[in-house]
Amino acid sequence: MAERIQTYGPAAALLALVAVFAVLSPQFRTLGNLQNLLDAGAVLAVVTIGATYVLILGCIDLSAAGVMGACALAVSLLVANSRTALDLGPLGVLLVVALGAAFGCLSGVLSVGLKVPSFMTTLGVSAIGLGVATVLFAGVQPTVSDPWLLQWASGRWLGFTRLTYLALATVALAWLVQRYTRLGRYALAIGGGEDILRLSGIRVGRYKVAAFTLAGACYGLAAVMITAQLGSGIVQAGAGLSFAAITAAVVGGTQLAGGRGGVAHSMVGVLILTVLANGLVLIGVSPYAQRAVQGVIVVFAVGATLWPLRHRLEVVK
Amino acid sequence: MAVAAHLPDRRLLVVTAMPVAAFLVLLAALAAASPGLLEAGSLLTLADSAAPLTVLAAGATIVVLCGGIDLSVAALASLASVLLASWAPGLHGWAVPAVVTLCALAGAVQGLVHVAFRIPSFVVTLGGMTLWSALALLASGAATVPMPDSTPTDWAFTRLGGLVPSAVLVALGTMAALAALLRVTPLGRWVRAVGHAEPAARLAGLPIARIKVIAFALSGGTAGLAGVLLVARTFSGAPTLADSLLLPAVAAIVVGGTAITGGHGALWRTLVGAGIVTLLRVGLSYAGVDAAYESILYGVLVVGAVALTIDRSKVSIVK
Repeated sequence: MAERIQTYGPAAALLALVAVFAVLSPQFRTLGNLQNLLDAGAVLAVVTIGATYVLILGCIDLSAAGVMGACALAVSLLVANSRTALDLGPLGVLLVVALGAAFGCLSGVLSVGLKVPSFMTTLGVSAIGLGVATVLFAGVQPTVSDPWLLQWASGRWLGFTRLTYLALATVALAWLVQRYTRLGRYALAIGGGEDILRLSGIRVGRYKVAAFTLAGACYGLAAVMITAQLGSGIVQAGAGLSFAAITAAVVGGTQLAGGRGGVAHSMVGVLILTVLANGLVLIGVSPYAQRAVQGVIVVFAVGATLWPLRHRLEVVK
Repeated sequence: MAVAAHLPDRRLLVVTAMPVAAFLVLLAALAAASPGLLEAGSLLTLADSAAPLTVLAAGATIVVLCGGIDLSVAALASLASVLLASWAPGLHGWAVPAVVTLCALAGAVQGLVHVAFRIPSFVVTLGGMTLWSALALLASGAATVPMPDSTPTDWAFTRLGGLVPSAVLVALGTMAALAALLRVTPLGRWVRAVGHAEPAARLAGLPIARIKVIAFALSGGTAGLAGVLLVARTFSGAPTLADSLLLPAVAAIVVGGTAITGGHGALWRTLVGAGIVTLLRVGLSYAGVDAAYESILYGVLVVGAVALTIDRSKVSIVK
């Protein structure tokens, strides 16, 4: 029973939310609002995919804010912009995704190699990323002038921006990786019982680093998307997104203790948060109050998912 | 040192001697670069700039000694600054105790949620961090709240005898009071026992839940006091006033040699750690390094110090 609630509960909550807002706000049930919803959720979806890969290991990744800051500045300096003479276009975007992956790899290597808890290493890496972003910023905000990149957020195709399609493609790819590759399967297994996997002769460390790297790549891509939306590179590009992504994943049913959930679950969580944000704005609630609600939601969602396990968790630090 | 006796000697030596040595080496290096630094006036100014950070890290050290962590302290200090600035006109002198008590309560609530729902402390306090900063934004309307009449906080930003900054005395007093509390009452031994071996402490009949809630309440209280110190020197409260102090505070705790696995550590270590962090910051600007690199330094410092001080015998699986 508890298992069923954890599997289908989030989806039911999403439907209920949609129904409530559809009744309360006539504006909510328009096609234009659906477009807004999906466009608004695109960046969060990509960040959450990254966070999910780390969460199913049983680790946590707080580095998104810093990594995204560094990547947002990097991409805005690599494509055609107001500060440097570079105009790398798609190559620049690829380089930035690689930069994100490098940050993720650093988190993974530090966690696995030094045996330091991941919340600590990723907090450190986030600070490093913010520092790199501030150094690159150097007091002058770079404005992106590359029409190809700006088109990602402005041009529409069949009613949706390219960012939405990009997010959907990333979700599909991430789902396939999780379902059909060794990395995806082992990541879930590591979260379920790392010691057993280690005893079976599987090189756990390698897969952990790979999962962190993948997460970093997602943050890099999300930073590119946000820069396309804003039209300039800012240090705070990822502010608050680490936490929003973890909230989305946990609310969707990806377990903080690892081993349960996955991309599909987390995406339900992303939709819940996005619908909640959109609906609350439409019925006139302050965005700051929403942040407060988010802080409470994540604690309760974690509490609810850990409740059935509480006898297994003798010591909680 | 009974608690630490079983540790490998080399590690104990590193953990005990390194922070003090690092502090002295940094001080010597800075003094060599600018001889004026060792004069009483500049040393006191340096100590004054370290005071809010020291107070912020003081209570959080006790949570770390329990084996948990409090990531909400900086956001709570920011909230405290906003509340103090908006309440001072009405409550006058009572505003400071009211804010500090409220922050201690906020800390206690986090502790309660942590023990009652068995949610890892970093998740609870991460949620708390979001909640407190959102409340600060709501209460202030996302703007700086000026405090036209600064009498309620003047005591925290004066120089006694025209020389000694009162904030330094507040910081040292907070440290001394907490250290005395840990030493005179059983709390110190309880906290270390919980951090060192919680199952054993539970079997020995220690009131684990109460100990943890007290630790979080103390952490919240000192966060509130740190917010008061910041209001005293900026004459205003702001919803993100203290946010940038989270990483330096964590750095001060771990650089001092307190292990985040709990059990090993002490308050004086955080004092040394805060000194190291402050000297490094000052040293960087002396060396002409752009302030933008500060954040990178904190990141490296935190990860490096945790890697050096963590007790790996306690964690078979590192999550």
